[in-house]
Amino acid sequence: MTLTGENPSFVLHKVHEVSFEERPIPKLSGPRDVRIEIKQTGICGSDVHYYTHGAIGSFVVTSPMVLGHESSGVVAEVGSAVTSLKVGDRVALEPGIPCRYCDHCKAGFYNLCADMKFAATPPYDGTLCRYYILPEDFCVKLPDTVSLEEGALIEPLSVAVHVSKLAKITPGSSVVVFGAGPVGLLCCAVAKAFGATTITAVDLVPARLELAKAVAATHSFIPTRGDSAAESASKIKEVLGGKAPQFAIDASGAAASVNTAIHVLAQGGTYVQAGMGAPEITFPITEFTIKELVAHGSFRYGPGDYQLAVELVASGRVDVKKLITHRVKFEEAEEAFKLVVKGQGVKILIGGPTA
Amino acid sequence: MAQDNFSCVLYGAGKVRFEDRPVPEISDPHDILIRISYVGVCGSDVHFWMHGGVIRMVSEEEPLVMGHEASGVVHTVGPAVTRVKPGDRVAIEPGFPCRRCKQCKEGRYNICPKMKFAADPPHTHGTLSRLFKIPDDFAYRISDSLSLQEAVLVEPLSVAVHGVRLAELRPGQTVLVQGCGTIGLLAAATAKAYGARSVFIADINKAKLDFAKGYLGCATFVPDLTSTPEQDAVRLKREMDLEDGVDVVLECTGIEASAQTGIYALSAGGVFVQIGLGKPLQALPLLAMCEKETVVKTAFRYAPGDYEIALELLDSGKVSVKPLISSTVPFESAAEAWERTRKGEGIKNLIQGVQD
Repeated sequence: MTLTGENPSFVLHKVHEVSFEERPIPKLSGPRDVRIEIKQTGICGSDVHYYTHGAIGSFVVTSPMVLGHESSGVVAEVGSAVTSLKVGDRVALEPGIPCRYCDHCKAGFYNLCADMKFAATPPYDGTLCRYYILPEDFCVKLPDTVSLEEGALIEPLSVAVHVSKLAKITPGSSVVVFGAGPVGLLCCAVAKAFGATTITAVDLVPARLELAKAVAATHSFIPTRGDSAAESASKIKEVLGGKAPQFAIDASGAAASVNTAIHVLAQGGTYVQAGMGAPEITFPITEFTIKELVAHGSFRYGPGDYQLAVELVASGRVDVKKLITHRVKFEEAEEAFKLVVKGQGVKILIGGPTA
Repeated sequence: MAQDNFSCVLYGAGKVRFEDRPVPEISDPHDILIRISYVGVCGSDVHFWMHGGVIRMVSEEEPLVMGHEASGVVHTVGPAVTRVKPGDRVAIEPGFPCRRCKQCKEGRYNICPKMKFAADPPHTHGTLSRLFKIPDDFAYRISDSLSLQEAVLVEPLSVAVHGVRLAELRPGQTVLVQGCGTIGLLAAATAKAYGARSVFIADINKAKLDFAKGYLGCATFVPDLTSTPEQDAVRLKREMDLEDGVDVVLECTGIEASAQTGIYALSAGGVFVQIGLGKPLQALPLLAMCEKETVVKTAFRYAPGDYEIALELLDSGKVSVKPLISSTVPFESAAEAWERTRKGEGIKNLIQGVQD
């Protein structure tokens, strides 16, 4: 295990089998690329899912793959046509390179590009290594007041920004967020930054709800196992003084949450699916229809989301530091994965090889 | 570099030369070379012919190949090209955005600050060459039922589609189209295809209006230049039997008095889309607009999806562009086509591509 080499990388071979490998230092693929020295990487449920299952849906790990995609770093090299960044700049990495030529890319939905090259989604390597290459327009420079640790939270924060923009959360509104893991917590924070004044976090774990309230939630709710979705929804409305919310976000992927969300929403309300769980569930379609609800699927992040996420952190409107519960060194990366598998911590950061 | 690319080059107002230029090289793996079949003449081409440019000018030192409305046959393709192959007949979308800026990534590449648009001084050459290079995703294969002449009109039809989409025209709405030039005619045709209940068309030129009536079957209105715009709007509403006014106005003349008339003719909450380009600074009746909560949108060229919709409208027969093609001249008579258009002869005059 060489960690003092040129480009040490944390590689997944197959389920539960990881190792450190020395990989070649990647080269710029064009004049508008930059090479970033990774300093901090957060890990997410999807990274852990590849670790424990070797696949997510049709994405299967068939050859060794570097893990990680939530990173920040320092620019180490810039291509000849790069104008917005220079060596030494600290950046948050937006780790998915779309093709730029297809209809989705040109229509403003590059997150839906069929040829998206996304870090740590097979077959593309991730960011748990020393150096990573991205086009300059997929790096967002961090202002001096934003740390590299906060920079690593920009990725999940951008997911929350994307969700909130899709929902079109408006000032003065009431939002219910199901699931108080990192994405749910950040959705509460972004909803507040977008002006929502009633933010209800829903989770089964009391400690997570405490954190949700520290972050942004004004109300919290623990569903009773065994209650139907309609019953849970009714109890949430009671917590809210009888007023149904206009927005509901699911960041849990749990069928019970999806169902409760549809029941709790006010007429004409908006539902956004951020969480990923069972591929097919039973859904209260009649309730959805008679209330004329709008439902959005939400996938990763699109144009402007990363920029807005950095702005929210830089301006102090969102404090991501509250989500960081553990920090490990690069050599201890597997520890971080095991912690998440055990359900511990909220956001665990792995330092880069030269952090 | 091969200099076998015969081209029509403008050296200044009224100064055109036909000469060989370098054959474009495939530099990006997505590039293709197209053998140009036909090029259409647009009002902007006439402006260049008369004045040498609009904002940036051509010159002896920096001459410019003209033309931007074009069709052709794919000649060569770069290594990453999968959408088209040599021999394919295509319509050309002649503006190439950077793909990396905020506007491009947000789906509004038509307003990319680094847009390279055909025949834009000083250095973005146009389509009046034997061979023209574009990225493959800006070439659109046309169906067998569409001729290469008609394919030239996909470009102005896309301008019309863009304007109609910005208006968010819904089935059952009423529309006033101002101007019966190519854009006005196609805007009216598109509005009909989008399900407008009634489309009214206006032009001061009776001959153009008569053609429009035959082409579209719409009610027509002749503005009275001795009336005020407000008075004309009242008369329009009366003649078209509209109590409140129209839901949508598509302004395709660029003339200030026309825009004012259009705005006065809108019903409360109506949408005004400025498509025509004219005087840079124009006065609008803001008070009347505020009282009606008029929505104003400005349209520029065409955005993602417009070319596809235009082609679909043509393929399905909802819009026909054949009646708009008035003449075709040989390549070296390009100036003749510009002159005809300048004099108002014909609607769309075409220039044939370089013949072997």
